[in-house]
Amino acid sequence: MAVTSAGVATPVDVHDLDYDRFLEEVHSFEFWFEAVSGYLSGLAWGHRPDLVEPARTAEERDRLVTVLCNYCVGETAALEGASGLVAIAPNRLAKVFLATQVVDEGRHLEVFHHRLRDLGVEDPESEVERRASRSLVLFRRRLLELVAGKDWEAAIFAQNVILESLEFAVFHSHAAGADPITADVLQGVIRDERRHIGFGENELGRRLATAPHIRARLGQTKKELDHLVLDSLEETSRLIGLPRDEQDRLGRLYLGSVERLGFA
Amino acid sequence: MNDPLQLEDAPVAGSETPRLRFLLDDSGFDEVPKKYRRFYRKWRGAGDVLAPNEVICPVCKVVIRSTRELRVGDRVYCMPCMSRLVVMRAEDGTLEARVAY
Repeated sequence: MAVTSAGVATPVDVHDLDYDRFLEEVHSFEFWFEAVSGYLSGLAWGHRPDLVEPARTAEERDRLVTVLCNYCVGETAALEGASGLVAIAPNRLAKVFLATQVVDEGRHLEVFHHRLRDLGVEDPESEVERRASRSLVLFRRRLLELVAGKDWEAAIFAQNVILESLEFAVFHSHAAGADPITADVLQGVIRDERRHIGFGENELGRRLATAPHIRARLGQTKKELDHLVLDSLEETSRLIGLPRDEQDRLGRLYLGSVERLGFA
Repeated sequence: MNDPLQLEDAPVAGSETPRLRFLLDDSGFDEVPKKYRRFYRKWRGAGDVLAPNEVICPVCKVVIRSTRELRVGDRVYCMPCMSRLVVMRAEDGTLEARVAY
């Protein structure tokens, strides 16, 4: 609520905020805390505690375990990437936002690990290592190289545009056909991912507008990572049993943000 | 609910027709702080229809709502994904939001 000079509270119309005030608002721990409190309160390990585990065949369980193991690889990459990016973020708002993202990514890794335990995996760490997709492992390595090289634009592009868009698209499709517990966990993660993809796209969009010379470098980053992402997308789509047309839709969803930034 | 309430203030002489105003209520959207929740709702999929005060965020696919009828050139914010958007006319004649970096 805003307070008028007469001391009367009036509702804030979000669309009337000036841009600087809007950015201050959404890149704050205050905003993050109120947002996640809305959809995470009352959950246990990322899902409503009253949901019941469905019966599934050994093969279905095995496929789900592989998918969750690869989600853990992606979330570990994002956790390590986001925490490294805090140090090289160019301003206070980006640092604070990335600090909230680190917390989100840590939570995602935790709830996926817990889900693996729910499914009877005794040692999730070694299972993740054993089942990790080669494409995702290579993606993680490259992302961390970009972060270590302090290449802010390329690293935020790789992580918050490419990786987060991939996760957003895959989690969306998977949640639609998953068992109730996995779907609930994924829905909570998707809500967090909205902030991450939005941050990446808007941060880079603003930078490209003022420093167009970085476009060629980002185009090279995309070219380097695209096949890893698309391989991973195809592998996961097969494991979660998506029909061909849904795989195509998912590919288009993934490409949406990179196209909006001018990387068709 | 998203009810047309009344015609907005009298238009400036020679300008366009006045806009519809809308009362927004909480649609259950829980991804932003409470004071902002009425400005957003989830897209309900096939069969869902956008009201004259609504556009879809192209980044995160949430429906953005305004207290007034939207028109080309209006600026709106998508708080769930932190984007600033401008309302444009799509090829099919409907309104759509595009990201303004």
